[in-house]
Amino acid sequence: MTESLTVLYGALPYLLRGTLVTIALVAGAMGLGLVIGINLAVGQVYGKRWLRAIIGIYIWFFRGVPLLVLLFLFYFGLFSLLEINLSAFTVAVIVLGLITAAYQSQIFRGAILSLPEGQLKAARALGMSDKKAILLIILPQALRLSIPGWSNEYSIVLKDSAVAYALGVMEMMARAHFVASRTYEHLPLYFSAGLIFLILTYLGTKGLRLMEEKLRIPGYSR
Amino acid sequence: MAKTKTILKIEDMTKRYGSKTVLKNASLSLNEGELKILIGPSGGGKSTLLQCINFLVKPNSGRVWLDGKEIIHSRKKELYAYRQRVGMIFQDFNLFDHLTVLENVQIALVKVKKRGKEESRTRAVTELERVGLADHITKYPAQLSGGQKQRVSIARALAMDPEVMLLDEPTSALDPELISEVLDVIRDLRLNGMTMIMSTHQIGFASELADELVFLENGSILETGPPKKMFSNADCERTREFCSKITELYGNSF
Repeated sequence: MTESLTVLYGALPYLLRGTLVTIALVAGAMGLGLVIGINLAVGQVYGKRWLRAIIGIYIWFFRGVPLLVLLFLFYFGLFSLLEINLSAFTVAVIVLGLITAAYQSQIFRGAILSLPEGQLKAARALGMSDKKAILLIILPQALRLSIPGWSNEYSIVLKDSAVAYALGVMEMMARAHFVASRTYEHLPLYFSAGLIFLILTYLGTKGLRLMEEKLRIPGYSR
Repeated sequence: MAKTKTILKIEDMTKRYGSKTVLKNASLSLNEGELKILIGPSGGGKSTLLQCINFLVKPNSGRVWLDGKEIIHSRKKELYAYRQRVGMIFQDFNLFDHLTVLENVQIALVKVKKRGKEESRTRAVTELERVGLADHITKYPAQLSGGQKQRVSIARALAMDPEVMLLDEPTSALDPELISEVLDVIRDLRLNGMTMIMSTHQIGFASELADELVFLENGSILETGPPKKMFSNADCERTREFCSKITELYGNSF
């Protein structure tokens, strides 16, 4: 028992550095997913037929192929073929980002569609271009409505980020495994790794909940 | 009142949804300072006509002239510029829910007309004072009554200095007690010479203030005439029928 604690104590700074890598992975992926996801959603709602078709294929692909397959496909396959030299970390951010973009786009699309049609009409009636109407009127409202769904997506991406281990990214899970396999203290290390994930989930969803409250439009009932 | 100059002219406006024609060859013209009121049963095409006029609904055919110049709505720049000159009031207000009352009125001045922040703010406050809402500028739409919301939407349209206003049943979504506060604002506009087309079932208001009533049914303009004539001896059988029904419902107009 004391042995385990000593190992854990010694490994903790190493694990926490891995936690930072995990946070960077998730932040990068969620950010990338946010930017691409918003564009996909807007394209899917307001775009021409050909654009909607392309976006449909994108979403079908990234929601349909398993994460591990995509990681290998991009890291060992696509980027090698194109002779683009990217670190495993960067590839993991890109792949996680492209996948979550597909899921996030549906959160945003649902939110956009839930807004009354009159919002866009009123904006157009004032002489706004569609681009302005979407940026100034539609998205500020739709994004607020998307926070609960986005928070859900955050907790999923956080957990998925552990799969980046398969590319050799030294995130938290990879480090826990590394220490565990050398010291044979499997239980305390994986327990700690799980605990850190739980804490990150709590902090993230709590933070988003606070943001939701802060951005709530006055006058609407809870 | 001098009513010589034609501000807005609509010719042969037609709108079809699939095989259903909701607006059939509607034509009308509007002189400066004139108020035309569209009447007729629900689903008769009043709302479609109003929304086709500023191309919120794209008509299948039909032409529009503002101040003598034809508007080609496929040219985006021209369309946006045109819409700035035509104010629109909706039945369900359509205030921007995430913006305060002040921001609702200000936003198009800043972002569309590219006016300065301060100048826009001053203008917005002036318009809100005009509709009696100076005390509510920091509130959000969800914190207002229906009548207040509609007055904000009128202020929002007025801030753009429209040459014509289109009002699509501006009081239909309001509690009976709140109707008059909105009608009072519209009456003021009328007396100040604003050129307007409005659809409404408020027949008392229509007969008091309209220059002409336009009766629309099944997408066609069946008859146009001054209120007195439309109510007492309309040419068309259906107009007479509708006018007497609605007078029964909403009280005598003369």
